[in-house]
Amino acid sequence: MHGIELSIIYVTSFAILLVGYLTAISSKDLIRLLIALELMFGAVFMSLIPLFSAFSNASFGIAIITIFTSSSELLVLIAAIVTLDRQKKNIYTSSVTIGGDKL
Amino acid sequence: MNIEIATLLLFAIAGVAVLSSLAVLLTRDNFYASMFMSATLIMVAGVYAFFNLQPVFVLIVFIFVGAIGIVTVALAATYRFAPERQISVIWALPVIITAFILGFSIHISNLASLEKIQFALQKFITPEYLLLVLFLTALIILLMLSVLKMGIEKEVGRS
Repeated sequence: MHGIELSIIYVTSFAILLVGYLTAISSKDLIRLLIALELMFGAVFMSLIPLFSAFSNASFGIAIITIFTSSSELLVLIAAIVTLDRQKKNIYTSSVTIGGDKL
Repeated sequence: MNIEIATLLLFAIAGVAVLSSLAVLLTRDNFYASMFMSATLIMVAGVYAFFNLQPVFVLIVFIFVGAIGIVTVALAATYRFAPERQISVIWALPVIITAFILGFSIHISNLASLEKIQFALQKFITPEYLLLVLFLTALIILLMLSVLKMGIEKEVGRS
């Protein structure tokens, strides 16, 4: 792998991560937040590529664990969004900040 | 010559990935945002295919895009809002400065060339890793159960 290819991978990963952050902080509903999180995970997947050159034995296992962990996290978030919609009758992020359990 | 064409191809794939991720930020419809997000993830998987890492490509496309991405697209089609943006345009300035600093620092850091990528899965499936995977699965099941319990309790309280 050449230095220019490494640079392309890292710059693309940083760019997608930054766009993901911007989408997350500008989102008004939870679906957009979910999409932003998936974008960020995509950036993380991309930054894993040079690992295959450095540690080829362990990197596939690390990639499997990363993919399955992120998929599980997103599934939990999807379940939480559906639950929030059933409770609050909307999925705006403002209802999450205002809501919560009464102590 | 081949190296130059390969680098150009990688640059094109990465460029399409960044452009489609920008489309996620700029579009106001959740449905189109989820479609662009799927395109970005497919391009990220395409970079893996570019480096001949086909199993990771299949994993990302089938599991992340095929399963999670499709559920997200379905959710986005259900809750199809056109929300206004909360973010101010002024934020674009620090973002551009940060991206410039990052790009410049990567450019001047003179990254060393790595060895050729080889795909192997030897000596990874050890008992320690299997134990970690088991703990991870148990954690995810517990998280899912807690979310389900919240919904069921609410339904019981309502009825």
